[in-house]
Amino acid sequence: MNRISLSRRGFLTSACCLAAAPVFTPVTFAAMPGDNRFVTIVLRGAMDGLDLVQPFGDAGFAALRPTLALTPDSGLLDLDGHFGLNPAAADLMPLWKSRELAFVHAVSTPYRDQRSHFDGQDMLESGGEHVAEEKTGWLNRALAVIPRSDARKAIDVNTSTELILSGPNNVDVWASDSNLAPARDEMQFLARLYAGDPPFAAALAEATRADSAAMMVEADGDHGEKIGDVAALAANMLKGDYRIASFSITGWDTHIGQAGQFKRPAGDLAQAINTLKATLGSEIWAKTVVLAMTEFGRTVRQNGSAGTDHGTGGCAVLAGGAINGGRILGRWPGIGDGQLLDDRDLMPTADVREVAAAMLYRQFDVGVDDLTRKIFPGLGFDRGSQFLNV
Amino acid sequence: MSLSFPTMAAIRFGYGFRPGEVAPQSKDELIGQLSKGAAATPDFPLGGPDMRHRAILSLQDQLKQIREDAKTVTDDPTRREMRKAVQRQAQQQFQHDANLRLMQAVLSPYGFYERLSTFWTGHFSTSANKSLPMRLIVPLYEAEAIRPFITGRFGDLLRSATAHPAMLIYLDQADSLGPDSAGGVKRNKGLNENLGRELLELHTLGAGSGYTQADVTAAAMVLTGLTIDRKEMDIAFRPNISEPGEHQVLGVSYGGRRRSREDYLDMLDDLSVHPKTAAHISRKLAVHFVSDQPDEGMVSDMAAAWKKTDGDLTAVYTAMLDHPAAWQNEGAKARQPFDFVVAGLRALNAGPVNGVVGSFLAANQQGTDEGDMAANTPGMAGAPVTTDPAGEARDKRLKAFRAARALGQGALKRMGQPTWLPPSPAGFEEGFSAWITGSQLAERLAWARRAAAQFGRDEDPRAFLRSTLADAARDETIRVVSQAPNKISGLTLVLASPEFNRR
Repeated sequence: MNRISLSRRGFLTSACCLAAAPVFTPVTFAAMPGDNRFVTIVLRGAMDGLDLVQPFGDAGFAALRPTLALTPDSGLLDLDGHFGLNPAAADLMPLWKSRELAFVHAVSTPYRDQRSHFDGQDMLESGGEHVAEEKTGWLNRALAVIPRSDARKAIDVNTSTELILSGPNNVDVWASDSNLAPARDEMQFLARLYAGDPPFAAALAEATRADSAAMMVEADGDHGEKIGDVAALAANMLKGDYRIASFSITGWDTHIGQAGQFKRPAGDLAQAINTLKATLGSEIWAKTVVLAMTEFGRTVRQNGSAGTDHGTGGCAVLAGGAINGGRILGRWPGIGDGQLLDDRDLMPTADVREVAAAMLYRQFDVGVDDLTRKIFPGLGFDRGSQFLNV
Repeated sequence: MSLSFPTMAAIRFGYGFRPGEVAPQSKDELIGQLSKGAAATPDFPLGGPDMRHRAILSLQDQLKQIREDAKTVTDDPTRREMRKAVQRQAQQQFQHDANLRLMQAVLSPYGFYERLSTFWTGHFSTSANKSLPMRLIVPLYEAEAIRPFITGRFGDLLRSATAHPAMLIYLDQADSLGPDSAGGVKRNKGLNENLGRELLELHTLGAGSGYTQADVTAAAMVLTGLTIDRKEMDIAFRPNISEPGEHQVLGVSYGGRRRSREDYLDMLDDLSVHPKTAAHISRKLAVHFVSDQPDEGMVSDMAAAWKKTDGDLTAVYTAMLDHPAAWQNEGAKARQPFDFVVAGLRALNAGPVNGVVGSFLAANQQGTDEGDMAANTPGMAGAPVTTDPAGEARDKRLKAFRAARALGQGALKRMGQPTWLPPSPAGFEEGFSAWITGSQLAERLAWARRAAAQFGRDEDPRAFLRSTLADAARDETIRVVSQAPNKISGLTLVLASPEFNRR
């Protein structure tokens, strides 16, 4: 069996400097026998599912989101006559048409009320019913119960493993230096952090203007290329012995000026999925499922700064040659009066963990008992799950 | 006092909070750190002072051998290789010491003492870049000539710093001869004023305090004779190179018909209790610890304590802490890079004994240039590279080494404060505007992200904020951190916050 090491230098062949380093968290892998592949992408910062997949058919949507709502007349890509895809993710349309793409609307973890990214992401990745209930990642626990899961090997040990794959079972980790560059949403946090401190605000402005190689702030621009590199790396590993891979796309925390800010991560998501497909090749893509999910949704109404705030119900993305897509899944709760959670958020109608459980079931034959006890404690899941026929 | 006492004590007078370490609860506790710190043996130089003395002599011998070989060996590449090997060895020892010094500050429970050690090492600035042996000498200098003396009389500190080989080499005193001394006449060499000038300008009275060029020359004359025994790499006093006669410094006469070591020691003693020295250094301490524009009452209280005790430094520090201004206007100072990095590593250093930071940095502080080159051999872009197991282990080691370097000495260098490598005898810049700039902030952000990713896995940003800044955290910072888009961002924001970069 080959031993594998990854050279960052080789990986970032086109990068001239750290400033151009990508803006997402490490790729993690798990190896096991069997033929199917499963990729999870954690969309950090709470993706606005209502922006990615817009319910233009709902009366009142445009009024709730005066500057964010689009219609097929203003560029929205009609999916099924009721929902439309944000043009920033237009590159996903071919997959939709070939039924290799599906969206699961109005899903969430059991997390409610507090709307903290940390707790929300911890729950999404740990798979528990309550905050801090589980200390390990659900994808790691899954490794132990996947039949024939013996062959795992180390690639490298590095800075930080994503919680989703961390735990007692061996997982190989590859990490770039990518976590040096703040995403655009983080820049806004820095700006807020320094708002009351003029010398620091001035230094940040200077740093942003300077755009020097040492800088690493406002690493805009080259992003698409870089997420493509990460996805290509993951796909190359999956072409070998690895069957599970996970990575993140950041930049979804769109409190301000969302219309502009949403384009980058949405484009990254599209590029990541397309790169996975292109790199895997048709034979392996046919056995692959990609699940992209986020810690919670955002408010249905846009806020005073043309953005959205932390909400509850969100949207998950399924892609892959192994799915029967071209559909919007889940039960749409509506966004009319009385239909919102706390008169604010999209009402979740399904547990996003159920989507993940269904994929583990169909890709790796993970038993129902293991799914509901060990991997997602407290989850109601049976063979009748609506997500099994996707 | 606007913040709680322990918070002010930890952040303004120490290197910040460290989980599991109780911050000072009273002024007595802060002052109590001084004797404890002075009594502890520093972790550097590697192997201890005795071994270091031997290593310095051995390096001298090797360099001498290379020089002698140069006369007979005509094979250039061989000589170059030998020289390179010696250089590399000294450089590695230096890096090791620099890391040990960083970890000393991170792990020591005596933050006030550690801060003072940094202050005084900067005050009596020397640079390891001056010559190859200085890579080995400068760490020893801080350990044996500075640290043991910073809690006692300033006069003793001045004597020990002035007469250490590090200072004599750095300020060229070893090359200074009395022009009319027997040795000077014979070798047709003369005075080097460097140490004499810095002694008055930087180490004691302060620039613009009224001394004249004649005082500088006279001080340099008094210092002649003070030199290095190159064989022993130790200080020596040689009357035959001392400028004969009497020399007037600030109206006081030193020397005479027969010159002796006592002449320069008397001069140092007089300078150490000079009112201008008391004022200069009291102000410098106040500026360093409290504010770029310190309270004049605090400075004069400190100078008065100096005068009353003939320069007992602990009394001067106590006078500073006793003044109300020491506990007001928090955050007026910018944390310098060393302070920032140490405070960040301390904040992240959870875990038993040395904590995660200590263990990681200690385990990965060695690397070699050859290794670096080997690891740079590119593979296919984005594709797995097949290597042998030994190569894999080496790559892993190298990666960890690089991460450790990037968080430690590499960061300090990029931020403009490399350990023991000040830009001039005046040491590193002091003021706020020197350290809070665009490029500085960018480096700090990059460092914060890297450190958060490396060590912050089990930290909740909200809890990290509380344990790291306590009541120094502003409401807005608490809000921003708790809303950060992910954990690493949240931790990064804590370390990037104005409160964390100020003190």
